[in-house]
Amino acid sequence: MIKLIEKIEGEAKLNFSFKDEKIDFVTIEFMSTRNIENILKGKHALDALVINPRVCGICGHAHLIATVQALEDCYEDLKISNKAKIIRELTLNFELIQNHFKWFYLTLLPLFGHKQQVLKATYPSQLMAKAIALFGGQYPHTSYTIVGGVVCEPTEMDIIKLNHYIDETIRFFENNLVKTDSNSFLLSDKIDKFLEYEGDLITILQQIKEDDMLALGKSYDRFISFGENSYFKKAKSIKTKVNDSVSIEYVKESDIPSSFAKSVTFKENYYEVGPLARAMINKAALVKDSHRKYGDSIFSRILARVCETSQLLAHSKKLLERLDLSEPSYINPNVDISKINGSGTSAVEAARGSLIHKVELQNGIIQNYEIITPTQWNLSGGTKKKQGVSQKAMIGLSDTKTAELVFKTFDVCSVCTTH
Amino acid sequence: MIESREALATMFSAKGSKVNTNRGAEYYDSLMKTMTKRLEELEKSPAATKTSIKSVLEAEGLTRRDFMKWASAACAALMLPSNFTPLIAKAAELMNRIPVIWIELQDCAGNSEAILRSDAPTIDELILETISLEFHETLMAAAGHQAETHLDEAMETFKGKYLCVVEGAIPLAMDGLYGTIGAKAETFKDHLLRVAKDSAAVVAVGTCATFGGVPAASPNPTGAVGVQDVVRGKAIINIPACPANPANITGTILHFVLSGQIPELDHLNRPKFAFGYRIHDNCERRAHFDAGEFVEEWGDQGAQNNFCLYKMGCKGPMTYNNCSIVRYNSGTNWPIGAGHGCIGCSEPQFWDKYAQERPMSDTHFKAPGGGVEKTVDEFGLGILTVAGIGIGIHAAASVIAGNKEGDK
Repeated sequence: MIKLIEKIEGEAKLNFSFKDEKIDFVTIEFMSTRNIENILKGKHALDALVINPRVCGICGHAHLIATVQALEDCYEDLKISNKAKIIRELTLNFELIQNHFKWFYLTLLPLFGHKQQVLKATYPSQLMAKAIALFGGQYPHTSYTIVGGVVCEPTEMDIIKLNHYIDETIRFFENNLVKTDSNSFLLSDKIDKFLEYEGDLITILQQIKEDDMLALGKSYDRFISFGENSYFKKAKSIKTKVNDSVSIEYVKESDIPSSFAKSVTFKENYYEVGPLARAMINKAALVKDSHRKYGDSIFSRILARVCETSQLLAHSKKLLERLDLSEPSYINPNVDISKINGSGTSAVEAARGSLIHKVELQNGIIQNYEIITPTQWNLSGGTKKKQGVSQKAMIGLSDTKTAELVFKTFDVCSVCTTH
Repeated sequence: MIESREALATMFSAKGSKVNTNRGAEYYDSLMKTMTKRLEELEKSPAATKTSIKSVLEAEGLTRRDFMKWASAACAALMLPSNFTPLIAKAAELMNRIPVIWIELQDCAGNSEAILRSDAPTIDELILETISLEFHETLMAAAGHQAETHLDEAMETFKGKYLCVVEGAIPLAMDGLYGTIGAKAETFKDHLLRVAKDSAAVVAVGTCATFGGVPAASPNPTGAVGVQDVVRGKAIINIPACPANPANITGTILHFVLSGQIPELDHLNRPKFAFGYRIHDNCERRAHFDAGEFVEEWGDQGAQNNFCLYKMGCKGPMTYNNCSIVRYNSGTNWPIGAGHGCIGCSEPQFWDKYAQERPMSDTHFKAPGGGVEKTVDEFGLGILTVAGIGIGIHAAASVIAGNKEGDK
């Protein structure tokens, strides 16, 4: 049975096979591609900074940061100022935050029989988009980051505005998702006690409990994250055991027949990426308690994504305090990019998980470019013997509607995947 | 120096380079009559959705005053005299009479994203709650097979009346196999032709849908083209830029509601109200250009003082769009405001010809000239070459001038 999955920012085709009235296997196909990696070949290195954000209109900013870091990695000894580092991290945080809001109100609510709440999705995401625009000029598709730093020169006035946008988004979160002040929310460490609050998130989590869906969506309980900054760590977590010896060199892509997407593995194994993975690696107390009780189910996955929104808002406030406007925005790399021969790799945490970029340059011209997107990790298509993360989570379910719910808790973005 | 100044002065006062914003009382009186009649007819027709602007405003706690403020801004954006404001307000109230079918092809969903955080205080409500968005994959409740049925129904019910909004390019290589949609794996080309066939007009939103955009960048591996290369015999309105400015999308739809016609277009089928000026003409850093004050290197004194970005590869002088006036994200900022030059994202083939950070005068690329109609648009591409050279002279001269001062 073929089911089309939409409202994932694009379209994917899920082909279910049933045995004894249970889903026995499912293949996931993406039906379009733009072949951006081929477009990049032969182009000037700096062109990638303009083309790559356009890989995805949803998480294009993550692509911009990944691109600039990959290009900077081609240099031997390149310095960027603390200011530029913080600004890049802030704008990336804002992109994650607005994605999470949109996912919750546009994608998730209808799956639980509620009306899609367009205005609740757009209000906080507009604020966060404005926050990005203050530094980046516009959102989506900014190109304000360059090799050596950023081009913007924010003023105190901009910082006042920015604080307002963040505060207003926090206020929205506190009035809608979990009705309590963020401090006590961030200190919550017991999931049962947490469910005594009110709010849109609590409604959904209660519904999962009441409708007996707590066991849904479990997969390998194996998580990985490659992006590093002042908040996220590079590590993997097998169940709750965190190990930080992960290297991108063990990441491999392989073709999937009949789909334009590629599978991706770490040391030949499939891993889950995204907010749940990051929370497990960061040992976020509330998510860990949920995981202890309900495992890597849809319950924990939904909780982790919403918790991350609040955590990133609070962390952004802290980052902003550390921002010193008197530092330079840009430090000249001293070597012109047209003299650069070498390769670079980068990883950043995008809304849906780790995004990896790899570039090879010869005299500043792109010889090869490889993009591995978060959704590729979660939706890697395996065989019956060796299933991908979301495949495993869907197998054994009795109907495709539930399967769609499980599938979408991974927050799928087909646009990225079909680069 | 003086010669280049004169060349610039001639260029900016060229007859073709003006959008006619005052067409005389007679013209506007007759336009007013046509529009009033059109709106009266629309009012009689059944609403495509039950949501009305009034209920949306009330639900959101917005006052009539907020709404009228928006209407007068929209009136100015469409380059109409202010006495059209009540008509604009009425048109917005009647937006639910015009069904919109929004399809996504080879895209990044960036334009949908942009419109989700659309412009002005009440536009969100206008767009999302009162325009009858009959079909939009990301925004509608139905999905999968149900959505396909929904699309067929919408096309049948509103035959000949709906606006077909297209986001994304159409890959033609390999018989279109680089992009298919639905359970039957319909190619994007067939899908577009089917939806466009019974539409009142086709609105291509974003540079991918208008000119092929990033998928069409060299070597164009999927054979991507824009809507106008595929759809024939239909009115096509192009709203390029990456992403297209939501204000221009709303403006176009509003114009259609108002007049039942598509707005006045240039030679690239772009509405003149939005694409009648170059970025450069209304740039906030223009004074620095005229004064010969340029950013010479990222992070320098010039960058810190918001000097002109031309030498850093800004394509503002070659790019037709209203970003410098409308800006992005509810007017928060725009690329030049953030200190990055314009990349020319609303021009055809900008990925290969414009996007580089290198100044135009340093590249081998020459803007195409000739073969353009002799109207307002002769100014279009023909003069671009001159602009490039003229500005090149000016920029070079400023370096010499600067050096001389240094010598003293």
